[in-house]
Amino acid sequence: MVELCDVSGTLGEFSLVDISLEVKDGEYLVLLGPTGAGKTVLIEYMVGIYRPDSGRILVNGRDIIPLAIDQRNIAYVPQDYALFPNMTVEKNIAYGLESRRVPGHRIIEIVRRIMKRLGIDHLKDRMPLNLSGGEKQRVALGRALAPGPDLVLLDEPLSALDENLRSTMAKGLRKLQQDTHATFIHVCHNFEEASEVADRIAIMNQGGLVQTGSLDEIKARPENEFVARFLKTRNIFHTVSVDGAVSVNGNTFRTCSDISGDVVMAIRSENILIDENPGLKEVETMQARVVDVMSRPHFYEILLDAGMPLVVYRIQNSLSAGDVVTVHIPREHIIVMRRRYTGQHGSFM
Amino acid sequence: MSARHLSTTSQSGRKSDLRLFRLVFLSFTGFMVFYSVYLFLGNVDQLFVGEAAQGSGELLRWGEDREVMNMFAGGFWRDGYFWKSLNLTLMITLITTIVATVTGIPTAYALSRYRIPFKGAIDVLFSSIIVIPASSIGLCLIVMFNYGPLWDIQQELGVRVVHSIFPGMVIASFVLSFAMGLSAWKATFDSINPRFEHVARSLGSSSWRAFWTVTLPLSRSGLIVGIILAWTRAIAEFGAVLLFCGTFAELPSERFSALEHALKIDQADWLSVAVWSQIEYGNVEYGFALAFVMVLIGFASVYIMHKIGAKGYIW
Repeated sequence: MVELCDVSGTLGEFSLVDISLEVKDGEYLVLLGPTGAGKTVLIEYMVGIYRPDSGRILVNGRDIIPLAIDQRNIAYVPQDYALFPNMTVEKNIAYGLESRRVPGHRIIEIVRRIMKRLGIDHLKDRMPLNLSGGEKQRVALGRALAPGPDLVLLDEPLSALDENLRSTMAKGLRKLQQDTHATFIHVCHNFEEASEVADRIAIMNQGGLVQTGSLDEIKARPENEFVARFLKTRNIFHTVSVDGAVSVNGNTFRTCSDISGDVVMAIRSENILIDENPGLKEVETMQARVVDVMSRPHFYEILLDAGMPLVVYRIQNSLSAGDVVTVHIPREHIIVMRRRYTGQHGSFM
Repeated sequence: MSARHLSTTSQSGRKSDLRLFRLVFLSFTGFMVFYSVYLFLGNVDQLFVGEAAQGSGELLRWGEDREVMNMFAGGFWRDGYFWKSLNLTLMITLITTIVATVTGIPTAYALSRYRIPFKGAIDVLFSSIIVIPASSIGLCLIVMFNYGPLWDIQQELGVRVVHSIFPGMVIASFVLSFAMGLSAWKATFDSINPRFEHVARSLGSSSWRAFWTVTLPLSRSGLIVGIILAWTRAIAEFGAVLLFCGTFAELPSERFSALEHALKIDQADWLSVAVWSQIEYGNVEYGFALAFVMVLIGFASVYIMHKIGAKGYIW
């Protein structure tokens, strides 16, 4: 198990503040956040490249902060993979085993097994310069996993790949992690990528940890407006809640929340139904006019005017601009969050 | 006019520009090469200084009270002074380069990789040595060793550093050799992403093993180029050696130690200083010959550097 306890540190102008996080054995955790959130800095603290100013990092109960990089048994796969250009693929993968003085015959056996599992045995004698992006990623993973690390840290492993390959490789990563039962911490800034691999997600912003949980949990109950927006929630409104009711441009919604005062109301686009009554008791209903219909790669994006703008996602569509429709929003999918004053940028979240 | 026609026209326009560029470039380069060959062949007889040069009387008119050193007939390579000077220069530069390499490469690595207090100031100091005139460096060394605590130490030990072969020439040539090598070695290490070492260490490698197995192979070309640069800078040194050490050709034999006699570097000068001193004494042709040898050494060094430096890793 990996445990971060109040890890804080300053690197140049950037500060990481009180990061506390637990990762179970065999879990695939994604550290998600925008660029500059502090994800890579946290990874570098865990690898040992830099030392935090305070806090503890425990791996299987052992505080690793006082340990040198080579004593932590944490594998690190950086964004550009950093395959050793002066070594063949086979030598790259064997490097960690040689460092740990594993007997030669065992090295050959382990390297062969890993290359076969990753489908890269045909690349054995190739130099990294001659590999494609996907091949480099697999070699880097093989090199990381060969010594049997306690933890594997992946820093944006898919960012260098094109979109089609990214999805394939994400599935491959997930399968590899499941097969090896290794603990993975994967850093990325892409919500879709996180959704393809994660058991759990930890969202970071401005040097702090904002929320952790499964993808479904975070989608259903984002901690604040930042999380809602980061998870591509399109329907977000600033309003006031009184006795569980909120009002937006003359539309009143009853919610399941007991928060009162300045609030942010959010509704995920896939949870809004058009002309389909779900048969639930607690549903908010209103009339709306179709403003525009846009075709996306995997769904249709429909812009509605219900006295307030609404964005709805549908798999199939027969609507066109100008149509009048009935919109149903299950009350359980109306998210209400407190509008908090951050103090950092003089704005409400 | 169709787009295709325009495209064809612009392509042929670019081709004729390229042809014109090639013509101008080759003409210029060809002119320089042939002119250099012509100059060389026209003056090659000056390498073979014979009595005819003295017979013209022109040399003596420059300063009858000066000795014409090393009277010989034909071929500077028959002159013991030339071989002793070459021997002296190569020996000292070898020592200098080894010392500069052993001290410079770890220094360059530390400056590249570690957070050192006053790192910027150290960088500026070493970089400044390259651009400061060598004569100023020589004067600074004189002040450093002839005054203050270093002078006291020399008095205690009964040694004299200024105007000596060992360690004077080593020190004078070392300063600039080290600075030149350091800039090349540091640039080499700066160009290698430290992430390779981080990954190597995360795989269980010690710092030394990560350096030896990953960084050193990747930096090999750059380090060798740095060593050659350090050596070339040492051998080309003039101002600092002249001011700090002076000349030795005219000194009596007793002035030199048994070691210097054994090594056959007595009554010899640093090669670049020998060029100057021969011209000063009126032996222009001899100076030319020595300069020619230095040019050959310089060309050979640069050629080797290019051959080695052209190989590099792309990552």
